[in-house]
Amino acid sequence: MKYPAPAFSPRGRRRPHVRELVAGLAALLVVLAGLAPAAAQRQYVVAFANLTEEPGVTVEGTGFTGREIRESFVLAARAHPVEMVFYDNRRDDARALQNADAAIARKVDLYIQYHQGAANAAIAEKLRAAGIKVLALNDPVPGAPLYTVDNLAAGRVAGQALAQFALRSWRGQPTAAVIVGNLSDAADRVPERAQGVTEALAQRLPAVKVTSVDTHGNPAQVGPLVGKFLAAHPSGKLLLAATDDATALAVKSAVETAGRVHDAAIVSHGVDRSIHGGMNDRKEIDPANRGSIVIGSVAFYLDRCGYEVLPLAMRMLRGESVPARVATRHVLVTAANVFIEYPPYDMN
Amino acid sequence: MKLRAIVAVAAALMVLAAGSAAFAQSDCKKLVPASPWGPNDQTGATNRITPAVTKAAAAEIKDGKVIALSYPLTDGVPLFGTRFTKTILTATSLAPGAAFGENNLTYMEDTWLSQSHVGTHLDGMGHIGRGDCYYNQIAMGKFINQNNMTKLGLEHLKPFATRGVVIDLVKVYQQAGKLKTNAACKKACLDKGTLITADDLQAGLKMYNVTLREGDIVIIHTGWGDLFEQFPAQNALYNSGEPGLGKAAATWLISQKIVAVGSDTWAVEVIPGEDPKEAFIVHQMLLTDNGIHIIENVRTDLIAAEAAASGRSTFFFSMTVPKGVGMTGNFVGIEGIR
Repeated sequence: MKYPAPAFSPRGRRRPHVRELVAGLAALLVVLAGLAPAAAQRQYVVAFANLTEEPGVTVEGTGFTGREIRESFVLAARAHPVEMVFYDNRRDDARALQNADAAIARKVDLYIQYHQGAANAAIAEKLRAAGIKVLALNDPVPGAPLYTVDNLAAGRVAGQALAQFALRSWRGQPTAAVIVGNLSDAADRVPERAQGVTEALAQRLPAVKVTSVDTHGNPAQVGPLVGKFLAAHPSGKLLLAATDDATALAVKSAVETAGRVHDAAIVSHGVDRSIHGGMNDRKEIDPANRGSIVIGSVAFYLDRCGYEVLPLAMRMLRGESVPARVATRHVLVTAANVFIEYPPYDMN
Repeated sequence: MKLRAIVAVAAALMVLAAGSAAFAQSDCKKLVPASPWGPNDQTGATNRITPAVTKAAAAEIKDGKVIALSYPLTDGVPLFGTRFTKTILTATSLAPGAAFGENNLTYMEDTWLSQSHVGTHLDGMGHIGRGDCYYNQIAMGKFINQNNMTKLGLEHLKPFATRGVVIDLVKVYQQAGKLKTNAACKKACLDKGTLITADDLQAGLKMYNVTLREGDIVIIHTGWGDLFEQFPAQNALYNSGEPGLGKAAATWLISQKIVAVGSDTWAVEVIPGEDPKEAFIVHQMLLTDNGIHIIENVRTDLIAAEAAASGRSTFFFSMTVPKGVGMTGNFVGIEGIR
């Protein structure tokens, strides 16, 4: 039996023409050029200059710490070809300028700046002069794209949740609304949060009067101030918007102390670990605690910041355009979706 | 009631019934792949342990040395979530006058109260699902009662007598100059959150010139088990996260047609995971989608040391899994025989 010669058989091979050889070589070069980036993917150096890494110090008027934000970058970086370099701006302009100088000396490829001081403009200038791309986090840096939480939008989500609850559960009953928190904290844009709540309540419940209770950042004041309000309003239903989770838990305690649990509904902002837990570490917002008067909290995801910001940084490093402003997608986290938004992942 | 009204009510009821049924049960054919071993398969990857595979694995036994790959099973070891263990010794016959007969027979026995997924343990096919859909497209809601599962129990598994391959990630990371240990580990360990890649696994295999073959069980040494050994002092740290497989590494292991993957960690996969909104996704990839077992809290330091000393990372993998009818997993005894 005679088998046909396989395609690669030397039999029947003819001498190739020079032209075909050149074409073949050119094709090979094109293929190799295409393979090169995949074979040796470029490793970028990305700096993150954090607002503060002081232990226990919270940021953005929430319960999240700067260390949690830094950790989110460490974890997110695992999925990208980046080496992270971390700086602590310590909420100090001079330190922030020094950090930028250090990053320029380190020849980083991109600088993520998280700083609330006046030095941002000078820092942007320095980095741009050194050919380093800049991405701003939460606070604008001139000329740099900004990734930020959206306090106004978050407040609206909270206000809508409260209004929806009142319309469903207390329709036709006398109802008042209270916004509680560090309402004078303009640096963290807490007033925008309060404005969002007010706007949403006004839209859905125009007859409801909204009262502001400013704790001036003193959690110990929540109980007495809310207690005073409750005493002055001994009847009727109460919609309580807390600007952060610690305040929400203190408000709940004040409501319980006043014996008004059946008259109150609370919505918070943040979803930090003080209000949600895990498998064993059960907290207020938990699938097994659906009867809580804390309806939910609007997620700020600051503990996942790196997962949102680093993909933007990668796009910039690849020379792609990014929007001038990208905002956090704030979602109401309740007992019904807390394990979807924050799946328990550790054993504690 | 007029006929028209009756028909309308009946139609409405039918729509409601159909709607609630659709809500209660997912279409598992869309959510989980079919088993390569057929629609009735409840065995999963142990189907790969054929007599030929076991015979070939027996060639790993050269001098009869037996190495433990299980931690002692005792109260106080780290446990996931609400799991617990409690041992109670029954020793009443040691009381004066309680012995039996002229031969003075005494006896003791234990009560062991715990969940099945404690200590060194095997995750069975019924442990992890996607919604109500489990391995081989089984809609598990129909196959559970208050006591156990009526499908996918441990009784369906074949014996785990096959070749084991230890991959020493501590060595891989040390040699690559990228080891970031945790200060609480007394011996070198990969820190929690360390993402093990397919390249890392292949580097570990290359270190001992091993190629995986169908039916192997892969044991990954990360050093994190050092914290397990320090129980209860380091339980909170051990539980707080771990180094482990990422999705790409899991995909590569699946492509190698292994039977199981074990590690000296409590979940085998990297914690915190690659995507914070996903929960234990490598478990779904291995167990639910591919019937590949996960073995957790494996004692890996001894076999890794043995491999380093001998230059050989393969061994005969011997694991006893009780035929727990309808059980989702169980603690196991594992030995590596060389």
